[in-house]
This record gives sequence, structure tokens and C-alpha cells, in this order.
Amino acid sequence: MLSRISYALRETAAGFRRNATLTAAAIITSAVSLLLVGTTFLIQRAFDNLLTRWKGDVELIVYVRSDATAEQVQLIEGALKSQPSIIDVDRLRYLNQAESYAEAERLFAGDPGTLRLLTPENIPSQFKVVPIAEDSALVRELGEQFRQLAGVKEVAYAQDVFDVVSRVSQFIRVATTTMSIILLVVAVGLIWNTIRTAMFARRREIEVMKLVGATNWFIRIPFMLEGLVQGLVGGILSCLGLWGLNTAWTNAVTDFNDTELAALVVTDGYASWIMVLLLGIGALAGAIGSGIAASRFLDV
Amino acid sequence: MIRLESVTKSYSSDVIAVRDASFEIAKGEFVFLVGPSGSGKSTLLRLMNRQEQPERGTVWVAGKDINDMPESKVPYLRRTIGNIFQDYKLLPNKTVFENVAFALEVIGRPRHVIRQQVPAVLELVGLADKEDRFPHQLSGGEQQRVSIARAFVNRPLILLADEPTGNLDPGTGEGIMRLLDRINSTGTTVVMATHDTRVVNMMRRRVVQLDRGVIVRDQERGVYD
Repeated sequence: MLSRISYALRETAAGFRRNATLTAAAIITSAVSLLLVGTTFLIQRAFDNLLTRWKGDVELIVYVRSDATAEQVQLIEGALKSQPSIIDVDRLRYLNQAESYAEAERLFAGDPGTLRLLTPENIPSQFKVVPIAEDSALVRELGEQFRQLAGVKEVAYAQDVFDVVSRVSQFIRVATTTMSIILLVVAVGLIWNTIRTAMFARRREIEVMKLVGATNWFIRIPFMLEGLVQGLVGGILSCLGLWGLNTAWTNAVTDFNDTELAALVVTDGYASWIMVLLLGIGALAGAIGSGIAASRFLDV
Repeated sequence: MIRLESVTKSYSSDVIAVRDASFEIAKGEFVFLVGPSGSGKSTLLRLMNRQEQPERGTVWVAGKDINDMPESKVPYLRRTIGNIFQDYKLLPNKTVFENVAFALEVIGRPRHVIRQQVPAVLELVGLADKEDRFPHQLSGGEQQRVSIARAFVNRPLILLADEPTGNLDPGTGEGIMRLLDRINSTGTTVVMATHDTRVVNMMRRRVVQLDRGVIVRDQERGVYD
């Protein structure tokens, strides 16, 4: 038994030396694909965070026409404050036109076209409403009543933004998942090819082994171990990459602590779980790729 | 020890390698399979260690129908059969000792057994002083001796030799034949495919002659032709 184990380990180590470039390619590909898998998970988690945060305090925004009179604004404020059972009066905030413009400058930083159309004079001021009622239908009903008031330009629900965020996150999820699956297949293929090449290079040895009565498993195991280690090393590299990426992202986001972006940070606990997962997927993909290659070659 | 019952093997519909071959080889026998190239000698050997499967007929080895055997049992069958080839099939990056030890290593024999049996078999084939050489440092005859040592180190019941003297000059070939004779005298059944007239006539053993896949002669103490 001991001699079999030492044989398998020696052969696995020798395999890496014999086939260094292909091995490196297989490891890098699996690292990149696993990194993408990990990133997908983290992005999903980040969006989930973002959505939960919205859910926590769904906001209703009452936009006030830019030409509304001071009396009309007061009337709207009064109407809002008369609904303490539905809205949290203490957290009711009024953003005047200057403040709204400042906010828009941030919101549309990535969209200068829209920003150009706005001026502190034509921008609507807004009431930011934090509801108390859990029932979002009730909040929406109230919002519709405000829509009828003089001077109200528009009523927006965070719920609607919510849908956009969901859709964006859905899109990103599909895109990254698709890419990571494709890359993972490529990684398995490369590992498969590495092992196939390794076995081809050693076909005489394998022929002799079969003729003197080595079992297929005995022949296969060093090759499978080689593939497994390739996947595992790829997994370790992807974990390092993911850790670096997550740290950098967290640092970057902390700078915008006041915005919703702050929600897009993933806590370390979850990231660690993802890393364990990546190591597992890497090892499995390596073992499967090399297992298929080894079996194919042995059956011929 | 080996029994073939109406065995037919073809590689494609118009190439029939062995046609309806039946014969029996007793334990301890030394048998030559003779005939021109392509007459089916090698195929017969490959049928005996299940490198090939026949279309029809049965191959019995040591009392077992080897074509009825599950794939997982084949390695254990092969451990009872040694193989020798015209081109030796030695591993160039391993020494003489390692080449022979390899056969024991890959069937999981413990190291102390290897350390004891490999020198013994190298002594038998007359290469005790060359165990650290690599194959390319040896003559053809010496390389064939290494391959015989590898085939015999596990003390198989049967030795299958496919043109073992094919690449060797007559004098060297004779030495190989004497070695095979010696191994045969320990009780190992030897089946040797050859078209080397000289060695067949020298040995005067049983001769099974093939012509285009058909057995045309089976003679005790025969000559090549």
C-alpha cells in the first residue's frame, strides 16, 4: 500500500516537471474561470445586499414642480405630516432645488447628457418619505393621492428603482454565470488536454504497465492526481485574486459611504465560503477532466 | 494451460487474421508459431493475453475462458503471463534495474520483494553486473535479456515471445534461445512466434505452422519446413 502511494505521488510530481508549460496554461485558465465564478457569487451577493437595504426603508419621493409656490410646498408638507400612521414624520426630508441639484450631480455623474438638461432653477425639489407602514400597497395608494395635489410634478417609488436594480443584477448574473461556465469548460478542456498529452508522451510506459498487469486505476490515479492538483492550484490562485478584488472594492466603496453603493460590499464571512467553494470546484473540475482523459486513453 | 477452440479473428471484413484455429498447449510446453509475416502468429499471441478478442471461438488460459472475463480481472490474468517483443519495449529513461523493477512496482509488490527478486532474475539472464546501465548503453541481445528478465521476474505461468530474435544476429539469437529454454525448464510454458528458421531447427520443439490465418501443420519436435 505504502509503495503504491509513494509511486502515485512520485509520478504526479514528475508529471508537472515533464509538462510545465501546458500545466501552467491549465492552471491559469482554471484560476481565471474560478475567479469569475467567485466574482459572480460576490456580485450577486452585493446586489442582494443592495436590494435588502432598499427593502429596509422603501422610499417614496414626491417631486415638486419647479414653479410651485411656497404655499403649495407647505400644503404638501402638511398633507404628508397628517399621515403619521403611514409615514415616519421624523424622517421626512425636504430637499430644495439647490440640494436636489447637488444630489443630481452625483446621481448623473455617469450620465452628463441628462445632467446638462438640469439647472438649479428647473430641477424639481423633493420630499423624501420614509414609510412606517410595512404594506407597500398602502404607501403606493398614499402616493397616488399626492399625485392629485397642486404643485406635485411626480411621485416616484423606490419599488420601481428596485425593479431596475433587480433587472440589472439579473443581467449581470446571467452574463457572468455564462462566461464563467464557458471558461470553466475551457479549463476542464485544457486540463483534459494536458493529461492527454502527458499520457501520450508516456504511451510506451502505459503499454508496458498494462502488459505486466497493472490495473487501470493504478495507471489512472497519478494522472488524475495531477489534474486534481492543477485544478486545486488554480482554485488557490483564484481565491487570492478574489480576496484582492474584494478588499480593493471594499476600500473603494467605503469612500462613498453615504450612497447605496455602500451596500455593494460583501462581508468576509461570505467571501470565505465562496473561496472554499472555488477550491472544491477547482479540484473537482481537475479530477473530472483528467479522469475522462485517462479513461479514454486506457480503453483504446 | 492454453486452449483455443475454433477461434476466428478478423481486423476488417476482408482481412481475416486467424481462421477457425484450434489447438492446445500443455503446461511446461515450448511451442513455436511459425509462418510468413501476416500469417496470424502475432494475433494468436495477442489473443492469448486478451490484447485482442476473437469474433468466434473461445480462448482458455489456465482453466479460464479469458473472453468471458470482466475487464477488471484482465490485469490479474496478465500477471500470470510474461511478454517479450522483437523491439524489447524497454523504457529508455530507466536503468536495467528500474525497468525490471517497474514490472513488480506497478502490480504493487512491496519494496523488499523488489530488492530481492530483481537482482535474482538479472543474475539468471546474465546481466547482474549491468543493473545501473540504461538501455541505450546495451547491445541488442542484452536489451532482449532485460526484457526477458522483466517478463519473468514475476514468475509467470506462461511466456509469450513475439519474434524475440528478429532484431538480433544469429549468435546472439542463439543465446536468447538458450535462455528461453532454461526458463522453460523451470516449468514455464513458452509460446514463441517466429519466422527464424535457424532457431526453430536448432531447438526441435513443437511447431504450429500458420498460413494466412489457418493452422496448416502441428508437429511435435518439428523443424521450420
